[in-house]
Amino acid sequence: MNAQLARDNIVIRSLSQIGDCALFLLQILAAIPRSLKHSRETIRQLWFVGAMSLIIIMVCGLFVGMVLGLQLYDVLSIFGGTSATGTVVAIAIYRELGPVVTALLFAGRAGTSVTAEIGLMRATDQIAAMEMMAVDPIAYVAVPRFLAGVVAMPLLCCVFCALGIFGGHLVGVSWLGIDNGTFWSNMTATVELVKDVINGVLWKSVVFGAVVSLIAVFQGYTTPPTSEGVAYATTRTVVASSIAILALDFVLTAFLM
Amino acid sequence: MTDSVRAKPDDSAIVRVRGLTTVLNGKTIFDALDLDIPRGKVTAIMGPSGTGKTTLLKHITGQMRGQAGDVSVDGQNVQALTREQLFELRERIGYLFQNSALLTDFDVFENVAFPLRQHTELPEVLIRNIVLTKLQAVGLRGAARLMPTELSGGMARRVALARAIVFDPMLILYDEPFVGLDPIALNQVLKLIRTLNQTLGITSVLVAHELAAVQQVADHVYLIANGKVVAHGDPKTIASDGSPWTRQFFGGEADGPVPFQYPAGDYATSLGFKGGA
Repeated sequence: MNAQLARDNIVIRSLSQIGDCALFLLQILAAIPRSLKHSRETIRQLWFVGAMSLIIIMVCGLFVGMVLGLQLYDVLSIFGGTSATGTVVAIAIYRELGPVVTALLFAGRAGTSVTAEIGLMRATDQIAAMEMMAVDPIAYVAVPRFLAGVVAMPLLCCVFCALGIFGGHLVGVSWLGIDNGTFWSNMTATVELVKDVINGVLWKSVVFGAVVSLIAVFQGYTTPPTSEGVAYATTRTVVASSIAILALDFVLTAFLM
Repeated sequence: MTDSVRAKPDDSAIVRVRGLTTVLNGKTIFDALDLDIPRGKVTAIMGPSGTGKTTLLKHITGQMRGQAGDVSVDGQNVQALTREQLFELRERIGYLFQNSALLTDFDVFENVAFPLRQHTELPEVLIRNIVLTKLQAVGLRGAARLMPTELSGGMARRVALARAIVFDPMLILYDEPFVGLDPIALNQVLKLIRTLNQTLGITSVLVAHELAAVQQVADHVYLIANGKVVAHGDPKTIASDGSPWTRQFFGGEADGPVPFQYPAGDYATSLGFKGGA
């Protein structure tokens, strides 16, 4: 009975958090016009969450492409279809791995630091100090980080995809000996701009960027102002973002196919 | 039982609290609290820990609202203001946080310049001059390019004070300005509070526990306990007014109207002795 009550509480708590998060999103959207005067802060955050995440995105993109090339070559060689390696690498990266892995890495690299930063700002009264200086913290703190995430994610996803295909080329062509012309011509003949690139890279990564940034900012903004609270909020950002990315990926794929 | 001492209504009061009742998590913080903060003076709010002194400052600045009663600042009912009106009022109020609350991404100069950059379109030369003037006033012009992590507690508080006065406010609220300061830093802060009050005519409200420091700087003291004003008056004489509250608080007695034991059930029962006391 008590366990049932506890489960109910967890469900109620989770639904309540989702509701609070949705209201927070409305606050952020309403504050966007007010935050235009803080464009310098938005650019600073774009550098922080975007440019500072480049290395991890590039390295991971390269290795994902390389391992994909290796695995696909192995499987396709059974059917004598190794010439399709480039095509399958590209489609897998554009449609799924690019946006999903980039978003997961983005949540781990940028999302956690945004949550911890805002949480510590709250714990050290910096948010309250802004309120006291008549500066709207939603417009100054939350919106620039949210917008930076929405803008940075598609750009990072493009970099990930480029490095992933380069990795697939490195393994398939330079190492395993697939013909260079076959690799590229099959890929360009099969990959579709709208279905694969726009739907996969652009739409998915914009949605994932918005969701991860919203979760990161919300968790930081609402964390209890204690060291334990900040630690839990950071963990919740990764867990909630990962679940949201994978669940939304299914929904988006179903709608976009 | 709580003795409530009604403050004499003051027409020149810049802050007026009337019948303020606040209940937080089932605990009554203020029980129809009345007090006036006179304009142009230094007023100290004292009282036992957890009695709601910082909460009172939050009511004055509109960060919190009570269940009943009014708080007016410079004639405006804070509880009835919209967010925009509240922000306009806050531009005329300086607030010194207990932990200074400096923005850790910015150096000392940028921390002091922050309100100017957010609310004005002043040219950079003018911002620089205003900031350096304020830093000179708190004795930290030479520390303009230090980061908050490089400052001592006393220096951080003085930077926060420079930031609080950057708009020449009508009212400054100091939350525990003397906590954790060595005697030198303490005297520097005391001198600054007094100088700002005398030279700029700024009304100051400070929440503090240190009677010796308060006696040096304050014109008037309110002692708050159990949600009400239990004593108020001249800081030199309030300690000797003879009430149980002032005797315990200023005498530092461990037990009295503020009990040593936090309210709890029967001790013997808690220890598992059947029947209890």
